[in-house]
Amino acid sequence: MIKLKYIYILAFITVAYILLPVMNSDYLYTIQDNNIFISGHTFMKEIVDDQGGWGAWTACYLTQFFYYPWLGSTILIALWVLIYLLTLHLFSIKDKLSPMALVLPALLLFNILDYGYWIYYAKTPGFPFQPTLALLFILLCATLLRPLLSRTQHGKWLDNLLPYQLCLIGVGICLLFVFDLQRVNVLNNHHCSFLITMTDKNFKHEMRMYRALDEFRFDDVVKEMEACQKEGTEPTNLMVLYKNIALMHTGQLGRMFELNNCGTTPNAGKSLQVHVSQLGGALIYYQFGQINYTYRRAMESAVKHGLSFRNLRMMARAALLNREFEMAEKYLAMLKTSLFHRQWAIERERWIFNSTDYLQSLEYQTLAPLLQEDVNTLDDDQGLCDQYLLQHFSDLTQASTPLLEDLIICMSLWSKDAYAFCVHFYDYAHNHPDETIPTLYQEGAILLGNAEDSPIELNGFRFDELVADKYNRFVSDYNTLLQQGISEKEMGNRLRPKYGTTYWWYYYFYNDFTLY
Amino acid sequence: MLIACNRPTVPTDAKQESRLPRIYPDYTEVTIPFNICPLNFAVQEGASEVVARLTYPGGEMTYGKDQKVLIDEEEWKEIMKASKGESIQVDVFAKVDGAWKAFKPFNIYVAEDSIDQYISYRVIQPSYVAYEKLSINQRDLTSFDEREIYSNMSVSTESTGQCINCHSYKNFKTDNMLFHMRQGYGGTMIVTDGELRKIDLKTDETLSAGVYPAWHPTQNLIAFSTNKTGQSFHTKDLNKIEVQDTESDLILYDVDKNEVSIISELDDELEVFPTWSPDGKKLYFCSAHFEYQNDSIAKETEMIQRYKEVKYDLYCADFDPATKQFSNVQMIYNASDSLGQSVTLPRVSPDGRYILFAQAEFGCFHVWHADADIYMMDLKTKQVQKLDAVNSERSESYPTWSSSGRWIMVDSRRDDGNYTRPYIAYFDKKGKAHKAFAVPQKDPNFYTFFLRSFNRPEFMVEPVTITPQEFAKKAKEDAVPAKYANR
Repeated sequence: MIKLKYIYILAFITVAYILLPVMNSDYLYTIQDNNIFISGHTFMKEIVDDQGGWGAWTACYLTQFFYYPWLGSTILIALWVLIYLLTLHLFSIKDKLSPMALVLPALLLFNILDYGYWIYYAKTPGFPFQPTLALLFILLCATLLRPLLSRTQHGKWLDNLLPYQLCLIGVGICLLFVFDLQRVNVLNNHHCSFLITMTDKNFKHEMRMYRALDEFRFDDVVKEMEACQKEGTEPTNLMVLYKNIALMHTGQLGRMFELNNCGTTPNAGKSLQVHVSQLGGALIYYQFGQINYTYRRAMESAVKHGLSFRNLRMMARAALLNREFEMAEKYLAMLKTSLFHRQWAIERERWIFNSTDYLQSLEYQTLAPLLQEDVNTLDDDQGLCDQYLLQHFSDLTQASTPLLEDLIICMSLWSKDAYAFCVHFYDYAHNHPDETIPTLYQEGAILLGNAEDSPIELNGFRFDELVADKYNRFVSDYNTLLQQGISEKEMGNRLRPKYGTTYWWYYYFYNDFTLY
Repeated sequence: MLIACNRPTVPTDAKQESRLPRIYPDYTEVTIPFNICPLNFAVQEGASEVVARLTYPGGEMTYGKDQKVLIDEEEWKEIMKASKGESIQVDVFAKVDGAWKAFKPFNIYVAEDSIDQYISYRVIQPSYVAYEKLSINQRDLTSFDEREIYSNMSVSTESTGQCINCHSYKNFKTDNMLFHMRQGYGGTMIVTDGELRKIDLKTDETLSAGVYPAWHPTQNLIAFSTNKTGQSFHTKDLNKIEVQDTESDLILYDVDKNEVSIISELDDELEVFPTWSPDGKKLYFCSAHFEYQNDSIAKETEMIQRYKEVKYDLYCADFDPATKQFSNVQMIYNASDSLGQSVTLPRVSPDGRYILFAQAEFGCFHVWHADADIYMMDLKTKQVQKLDAVNSERSESYPTWSSSGRWIMVDSRRDDGNYTRPYIAYFDKKGKAHKAFAVPQKDPNFYTFFLRSFNRPEFMVEPVTITPQEFAKKAKEDAVPAKYANR
């Protein structure tokens, strides 16, 4: 007959696998992406001397394995099994009381899932493995010392521990855990973080969209947004940015308002104020061809929240595009020492020596149209990358590529900058006299052409009849609801099914563009 | 014994190459002090094995492990002893794709002049606005020993960060030294004859607390600049960051009286970077003439718009140590009008004959200007020359002299354009600067993998003996406010 202790641990392993790689593979991947491990003496010395000793260094090494969430989880779960077995052995726990030995692994499992948005901010190197390794170390020491202690009079207490005493110890640990969290007033926040990890769909969408964008899989970014729209949840500002980047690079910017463009602030819990710049600033700037700001955001993130594979990749990319090859080589040399980012680095190192390959790469080809902007200015994004990009592109006076031409119009629509839009629309219409003007631009022109701050009279343009008719219907419906005296919010809700994908709806009813 | 047993042998079947080997750091044809630590280097030839043969007066040694040449410290001392005033020939062999190559040998010249045993620098990430861990470290140049003088992490918390900067010593000694702390626990840590004090140098009458310092060589006086400094960021330019002073003046701090007085606060002049002559009778400094033209916008905005117009010249004022009065201010190097250049960070040689400075097209913060190079003026002839042997295609800034005047140290970004490294150059008795070399590290790849800069390198003849804990304890105390005195 199989002993109960094995049944319990098998049940725990199953639960852990379900909660980790099955339900949270993106979460684990993102954790490793925000972690760092560089082989060699310099990194080792820095971690060992400054940031928590050999445990931290080992934890950083092991965290790499979450690049493949199943692999990393297997290692972590194996360590938890070891903790379980050592606890059983050390305290001579009887079979029927063996669940007591699962208390600590269960707390460790909870702990790793209890970070939520903190995974972007946590400074402790290798945090998923650190508590596990520390506990394992203590248990191993206790196991090794036990025979020595038992020989002494004082050491016999360990052998005399009774099961109920063990229960008390277990309960005590749990109470201490809870009490300590309450004392520092973070219990609710931690609770939130666990729930965010497990249930917040936007949190998961953001992670998947980031990875897809990082790998230039733009269709997957759009699919993720479409999935969000089907769920009926409002996206975050970050998701809107990611979505629009994907649309931009796939020539679909005209769909910007078709796919929800009304961003919200994420639910990150009370203890944390998240920022777009930390969650994805460097990659966002990169995808917009703002290379110096890419580098700045990656560097600042590394300074404030610790160096990571993610930051290193972005700094290497920025250096490559800026043709700062020695700097690129430096970052790539570091990435080459990692287990799973090595190939990425080797490929880009080749680009340094073979510019043809680089110029033909998907990455360069995608960004090249955005790199034509050659005017240097001195400014500052004040840490708000979405606001900076909206203003920067809305204010651009010249668009030297078709992509930039579309981008500056769409950014002026997005930011509701009537003046900039009208100037850009006028230029666009004159540069494309024989082409059909995209519906979105017509929607903008019909609405903003008559705005008070419009510098150009756009009424002279011939708009598509379908667009003009739809606008008239929108105005009529709007006025009808207005006369009924219902609230603006309610008006928006009622008009959304019919006009929710138009610019007009966005213009009138999305007034909650909170920057974070 | 172990080293001797494992000593690599020079390959006999190597194919001769006509070029020098690619090594990092570049120690080819450099002149070094006889008391410096081993010049370990990596061979960047894609080799599986390397061997370096060091031939010196009276012997030869071979070293090599993987791609690195790591020299035993005790053996190196023997080599240096034997090579003083002579040279070491280095033959490098590399096994590439299974075949050995022999490269053109190079020399390392060993000067008869020693170097100050210690240097100190601030270790900082070349960041923009954010900062986290900063420390001022001291390094023993005769070994690889490096220690923290002070780290901001000893007092910084999540909500109150602390910036530290501008460490400075009187006459290369550490019983009179200072550094600033900003933001959390702000103040200037001043050590006078070994006694540590924390002073708030900001007064109602002055622009800011003291910034760039210069200890008077004989008196208990320190000249500072006071600055209102801002930063902005290039969207395309590879210089990336512009640091600008919208206002700046010069002040004098009397350490004994705890008094601040103004040296210069001229309208339309941005005075900065004071430095004394070794006899203490002259104060050199830089100043840019800049007239704000648009009252409708903030000074910061106009400065950003016209940042390329800010160009500093070199000035000198006479100083009477008895009366503590300045007089006869004159421009000694007009870089702005005549050359369209900007001079910063002057430092006078210990014999008073030369003055080093960093020069670039515009601005005051040359560490972020790739065109910045080190120049030198002969104060006797007023001739200015660019020190080609010290410079690179990237930024060189913050020049400083050793106590003997035989060694120059500069901050250079030549390695990758972004991370500053301390480089040392020999300055011979004829006034000629020799090829600069990176301060050696035990692991030659250290600079590649270390993502922090070494800012403001300074020579010291002795180590700082006040412990980081003592500095931290003092840091937590309130700063004593300095008094303002009319001049």
